[in-house]
This record gives sequence, structure tokens and C-alpha cells, in this order.
Amino acid sequence: MKIWEYILRRLMLALLVLFGVSLVTFIIARVVPSDPAALWVGPRPTLEQLAAARAKLGLDQPLPVQYLRYLGSLLRGDLGVSIKTHQPIIQDLRAYLPATLELVLVGMAMAVFIGIPLGVLSGARRNSLLDHFSRLLAVAAVSIPTFWLGLLLQILFFRELRWLPISGRVSIETTLYQPIRTLTGFYLVDSLITRNWPAFSDALLHIILPAFTLATYAIGLSIRMTRSTIVEVLEEKYIVAARAAGLPERTVLFRLALKNAIVPTLTVLALSFVYSLTGAILVEVIFSWPGLGSYVTAAVLSADFPVIMAVTLIVTAFYVVINLLLDLVQAALDPRVVLR
Amino acid sequence: MREPLISVRDLRVQFHTYAGVVNALNGVSFDLYPGEVFGLVGETGCGKSVTGLALLQLIPPPGEIVGGQILYCGQDLRTLPPAQMRSLRGGKIAMVFQDPAAALNPVFTVGEQMEMVIRQHRRVSRRDARRQAAEMLRAVGMPDPLRILNAYPHELSGGMQQRVMIAIALSSGAEVLVADEPTTALDVTIQAQILDLLVSLKKERGIAILLITHNLGVVAETCDRVGVLYAGSVMEMGPTTAIFREMKHPYTQGLLAAIPHAERRGRFLSAIPGSVPSGLQIPPGCPFHPRCAFAWDECRNEIPSLLPVDEGHWVACHLYGRGRR
Repeated sequence: MKIWEYILRRLMLALLVLFGVSLVTFIIARVVPSDPAALWVGPRPTLEQLAAARAKLGLDQPLPVQYLRYLGSLLRGDLGVSIKTHQPIIQDLRAYLPATLELVLVGMAMAVFIGIPLGVLSGARRNSLLDHFSRLLAVAAVSIPTFWLGLLLQILFFRELRWLPISGRVSIETTLYQPIRTLTGFYLVDSLITRNWPAFSDALLHIILPAFTLATYAIGLSIRMTRSTIVEVLEEKYIVAARAAGLPERTVLFRLALKNAIVPTLTVLALSFVYSLTGAILVEVIFSWPGLGSYVTAAVLSADFPVIMAVTLIVTAFYVVINLLLDLVQAALDPRVVLR
Repeated sequence: MREPLISVRDLRVQFHTYAGVVNALNGVSFDLYPGEVFGLVGETGCGKSVTGLALLQLIPPPGEIVGGQILYCGQDLRTLPPAQMRSLRGGKIAMVFQDPAAALNPVFTVGEQMEMVIRQHRRVSRRDARRQAAEMLRAVGMPDPLRILNAYPHELSGGMQQRVMIAIALSSGAEVLVADEPTTALDVTIQAQILDLLVSLKKERGIAILLITHNLGVVAETCDRVGVLYAGSVMEMGPTTAIFREMKHPYTQGLLAAIPHAERRGRFLSAIPGSVPSGLQIPPGCPFHPRCAFAWDECRNEIPSLLPVDEGHWVACHLYGRGRR
């Protein structure tokens, strides 16, 4: 199959990109004036302790040797150890990455299922009441500060209405009485697989507010993007032809027009998805969501370079894979796109 | 006399633009009989395409039909509920367009597009719809229909695309086909094939075709009757032979004189002086009078009505009005 060849080639290129990123982050980590050994041993170290730490971390070796060792451990799947907590980074990621992915995926689903239909209807009924409403919503959604919206939603849905929990991934009761057995780290998926229904609904209730807060920007983006491409596509002759053939408006808009208009929206959503992996820090803090954003921010503040480098590599890998997926989706949607 | 399938009576269409009200059609009337090709000719902007879209009630905003009737089987399409109108579209009255490459959806296969339309109008399974689609493709002269069904529009030639359009249009048993410049975007040799196809469909299926064109050669080859449209009004209407041999209206005469002929090679091509009036400012009286060599006071003040000058031959011109012929 030709498509497998294409995917394989793109993945090889991705390895090259990852190699480049690892080199750059490594150099930055060594250039920046900070002493990992000092961080490793903690405050008021003796000279012997420092020297021991240097030897343990391999900092006494020449830089090329250090990089090659780093690369070698990467190839073995070892992302290193946090200088600050002395924990293997892979262990931390196993907890934080699924939490973030779950949050961001649910947020993106909201953007797709709220933003795209609103954008389509808004573009189809230009200058109608709905159009004015959804355009206003779009502008508000992209410009509202996340932390403010998050707090507002907490006040409304937790304090006033008492409909939704204020923060965390699950409530303490669930942790105590209906603990979720960790399989994938995605609470919704794990509780579903183990048929732990109380935990599932608890996790679902917990994710609504943070996911929505995170999604507002993407919702606004997808309304605007979808609207403008739909307006363009609806001018096309094949839309008149479809109406002339008696196809109902629902089919014309959501099947015939949308398939022609959806790629730009998917592109911005995908980029915003990867950005959110580490950019969701505000949402994570407000909703006490143990995610990648808080993890990497803490690492940055304490100059914990192995962690920073590992997260950078992970996010880069996501960028590369998401871009590949986007190209594949585009080719699947539009037969005129040729992959090569 | 047979009953007309479609009767258009005094059709008026306006577009409300920022520059003002554009009068696209100012009282167009004609009949379309089963098993005939009725040609609607005129220059760009005379209202041909608007007439076609009006038959399907698909005038795009800011345009609207402001007067007249479109009778199909005695029923005024203007007063038909939207759901019924939608089932007529593609079901009884279908349309093909000028540029088939633009009128076919680029991201669906031919088969998907045909199935969608067939299943909209008939309760059939997907497999039956596909079979009917293949039959229809064969009926419009496509070799290897099964391959075409799986093809995307951009993989077909212009002529094949237009055949596909016609197949889609007729796939649900349409009785009326509105063909808006169906050959203009095609090569000359392909044009002839498509016109032959339309004529044979008319003969075999007895469908009525409203052929909208600016090409008098196409009219001469295919149409049984012709209406000449100018600035949103019918100037002259009659059997094709009568229009070409005994044209009455000065505008029709001017149009026919402007056709280049091989035997007149080297001589200046005759042209009608002036240009088509904008729909924003249709001249009072006969819309053609500013460009007409015979115009007199009456033409400037009074709109001539469409009056018969011969069997089935009608002219809207004061030269032939009220016993002056």
C-alpha cells in the first residue's frame, strides 16, 4: 500500500525532528547558568556531595559524551530522573499525561460538537439572529480570560447551583469507596472498562467545568473558522446544483458543504489541541487538575531540566503525529489532495 | 393543442441591491410543452439564467419573484409549500448548469452524489439506488458506468462531467430539464455530443427541455421553439425555423445579422449599436428602443405587448402592433 509508505516516511522524518529538538533542548539546558548538581543535593551541600552528584549525573563528562548518553537512554525509553524529586520522569508522566489528555480531548470534543454546528448554521443564515448570537459568542469565547471564566463557572455551578464539583478529577468519596483501577490513566475510560459506574459519573461531572473552560477558546475559534469557510463554500455552484436536485437543507449544509469546509477548522483545532497539552496550566491550577501544564511549570520554576526536556520531546512528538494525522484526514476528505 | 407542462405567466423578478432595485425579469411569459426543446436566447444579463432558477424557486437572495405565475400541471409553484417544492426539484423539474466541473461536488464520488439524489426522491435501498445510477449513466452514453460511479468528478473529462450532471438530473424521473448553458464550458466537438444527447433524451423520454443559451448556433441545431429575451422581457417567440427565416423584431434581426458567416469573410461583422441596459435602469417604453433603428415616439413611451404575427409566432414590437403589419 502506498499510504503505508507515506506514513512510514513521515515517521522517519519525525524521528529526525525529535533528534533535532533533543539536541536543541540539551544545549539550552547546559548553556543556561544553573547547577543541576546543586539542585540534586539540595541546600547547603558539601563539596564532596556536589562532586558525587556531578559524577552520578554524568556532569563531569565532556558535553558530547553527555549528549550521547542522554540519547542512548532516550532510545531505551528512559526519559531520565527529575533532579528535584529524584523520581523517574516516566513515572510522573504516566500520571500527568493521561490526566491532561483526557481533559484536552473532552474539551476538543466540546469544540467540535458545539463550535462546528454553530459555525455551519451561522454561515448558512448570515445576519440572522442566530448568526449575530454565535458571532458574539465566538468573540467572547476567544477573548475571555481563562482564569476569570473558570472562577465564574465555579461560583455559578458549584456555589450557587450546586450542580457540579469544584475541582479535582474525582471526589474523595470515590477515591475511598469506589477507587478507579488504573489501566490507561484516563479515568473515564478506566471506570468504563471496569464498569465502575459511580466512579464514571463522578469523573464525568468533574471534567465538565475544566474541559469547558479549556474549550471556550477552541469553541470560539471553530465557530469563526467554520462560519467563514461555510460562507465561501455555499457560494459554490455545486451547492445550487444540490438544492436544484431537491436535497434537503440539512444534507446540503452538514454533508455536502461541511465536507468541503471542515479542513481549516480541524487544522486550527488540532494545533490548539497540542498547545493545550502544556498551555492548560491556568485551567489545571484553578480546577486542581494534576496535568502536564502544572508539572512542567513547576519544573521550569526549579530549573529541573530533565523534566523540561522530556516534556518538550513528548509535546514535539504530539505535534508531529497530529500534523501527520491532519494530512491523512485531509487526504481522506478531499480526493484531490495527493500525499507524497 | 397539447397541454403545456409549464406555463410561465408575466414573471417578474427583482434583486434588491445597495445600488437600487434591479429588475431582472419584467413580465416574462412562455409555455413549455412535453417533448420539446424550448430555447431561451439573449445576451449576458438579459435574465435567461434567472428564468431557469425561478422555475425551481431557487432565486438567490437578495433576489425575489415579485409577480406572475409559474404553473406546473396547473399548480402555481410560487404558492407551493417548501417541502412539496423540494420534492419537485430533481423529482419532476431538474437542472443542469454551465460549468459541470463546478456543479459537481468535488469531495464525493459520482456514485455517492447520484445515490444521494435518487434516495432523496425514491424509497430504495442503497444497492438499488446504485443500480439505478449505473443504468442512468449508461442511458446518457457513459461507457463503463461502474468505474464512473467510483470516480471523483475531477477524474472525468468535461464532457463526461456534463453527462454525469444530466444523469443526476434525470435519475429521479424528471419531466422538465432546465439546461442553463449546458455546453458553453465544453469543447466544440463535445458540445455537439451533449446537444445530441439532449435531443435524444427529449425524443426517447418525452421530457421538456428549457435550453438557456446565448449561442444561436446551438438554438438552430437543437430547439423546436425559441424565445428571444432582452432586458428581462421576451422580444420575440416562435418556432425555430420562423425565428431564423422570418424574424420580425429589430433586436432578433440584429442578433442574427451579428453571426459571422464563412461567405462574408473579410467584411465587417454587423453589430447592434449601444449595449444592454442595466437592470437598474430599464429604458421606459420598449427596452430596446435606444438601440433600435426604427424607434419612434410610441416606442419611447409605451411598452409593446407580445402579439401574434403568425401561427405560434409572437413579437413584442410596435412595428407589428395593432394592424400595422
